[in-house]
Amino acid sequence: MAEEPILWERFAVLVERAGLTLTPEQFEELRQGYRFVERMIRTVRRSRDRAAEPAHIFVHPKD
Amino acid sequence: MDPTLLTVAEASHAIAEGRLSPVELTDAYLDRIDALDGELHSYVLVLHDAARSAAREIAAGRSRGALHGIPIGLKDIYKTRGIRTTAGSPRYLDHVPDEDAESWVKLRDAGAILLGKQETHEFAIGGPDFTLPFPPARNPWNTAHYPAGSSSGSAVAVAAGLCAAALGSDTGGSIRGPAAYNGIVGLKPTYGRVSRRGVFPLSYTLDHCGPLTRTVEDCAIMMQALAGYDPQDPASADLPVPDYRAALGKRLDGLTIGVIRHFHERDAVADFGADNAPNPTYVEAFDNACRVLESLGARLVDLQLSPLIDYVDANRLIMLAEAYALHETDFRERPHLFGHHMFARIALGAFLSAADYVEAVRQRRELALEYANALTNVDVAISANATGPAPRINAVSTYSTFERASYTGPYNLTGSPALSVPIGFESGLPLAFQIAGKPFDEAGVMRVGYAFEQATEFHRQRPSMAESLPRHQ
Repeated sequence: MAEEPILWERFAVLVERAGLTLTPEQFEELRQGYRFVERMIRTVRRSRDRAAEPAHIFVHPKD
Repeated sequence: MDPTLLTVAEASHAIAEGRLSPVELTDAYLDRIDALDGELHSYVLVLHDAARSAAREIAAGRSRGALHGIPIGLKDIYKTRGIRTTAGSPRYLDHVPDEDAESWVKLRDAGAILLGKQETHEFAIGGPDFTLPFPPARNPWNTAHYPAGSSSGSAVAVAAGLCAAALGSDTGGSIRGPAAYNGIVGLKPTYGRVSRRGVFPLSYTLDHCGPLTRTVEDCAIMMQALAGYDPQDPASADLPVPDYRAALGKRLDGLTIGVIRHFHERDAVADFGADNAPNPTYVEAFDNACRVLESLGARLVDLQLSPLIDYVDANRLIMLAEAYALHETDFRERPHLFGHHMFARIALGAFLSAADYVEAVRQRRELALEYANALTNVDVAISANATGPAPRINAVSTYSTFERASYTGPYNLTGSPALSVPIGFESGLPLAFQIAGKPFDEAGVMRVGYAFEQATEFHRQRPSMAESLPRHQ
């Protein structure tokens, strides 16, 4: 994954909003790791029919 | 003969016939733990006295069935009343629960003896982490290599002959990954099939409990005791439990098996990068395994699903969101109580929105339906497990969990049963594939796994560390 990590200033906003208190080392490591969160979000954010429901039920197989 | 070389089925038979006593078997396992675990680190707590006492009690009592007198281990996220349960975390270093995990209760009622609590990645996600109080477990095939996780200690102990069988947990592959790298069998049952009550959660909607064993038959024996409805687990399914051993056979005539090749042949590199290319030896082993299944009478057909990343990233996003929510207070107020990997991985969940989570759960429904439809015309599916041998343990990076392709996560997302079975070796390290089924068809996946196992020799090979101690030869 060769993408650039999120900008320092933008990530600082996310950290503040999350209410986390990070050491400089933790901040930088999470900033680098945030690339994977961005990828996950890109993967699941897609155009869907408004009627497409979440997986909130589990249907047992019929006999 | 060294009784620790026996499978659960063999030891059970020997105990039933009076040729082996549970006390002798338990002592033999404890001897091996004392001799070998200083190097393997598979246990965080060994219950010498309690195990011997339980063995004597079992030996004096009426037979309780196929697990009567069988020594097992528990991943240290299974709560054990009066026995320290750490979840691999500094947060719970002195935690002594006042309840037993329901799945342990079921095994104990079936006659199993608890040898000890086994090393786990912190809260089943943060490892291998050398900053934690317990050193990471080592792969018995080569102790410089990673045994995978998070049920690392349990898989290592089974492979090295330090217990007859063990319980692990699986949220994205934490039973099947360690099973693959340690050359043993691991089953993630259907969501709802085995109770999760009394097990430290990682991700409520993705967590599964299941067995790690040396053979598929042993897996069936464990599942017979474990499966069943638990009214106090909100996800538990009230469905009949079949006779798992009765479903095992040596032929697969009449079965149709769907082969999901594109996960490892196309998607891994396309979506996760060139360094995720399957090892050529792995591809050969997978293709050989397909030929073995055909030789047993099965018809193989190609199955096409959505790209691997669609399954894997939805699984990982849901896991991150649920795990972060679970630990949020500690992340904000007591971050120093987490190990490095746990903090670096799960803190990423703080940056997800509610809409991100809902979109992932909507995608989950789409993919679960896709998988169900794909399996309509086949009996089971097979797909890759880890597509190469275990890496060196010091080469596993903090974010390898999210960086690399995962072949196990899809079945956590769909909730379907998936079994890891050995299919070969490279450089002396094991390789495996997965057999996945329809919801609640553990019998079907074990049937295929057993037939494959009977037709091959991979499960009979054991690491040199698993050889008998001199005094037991």
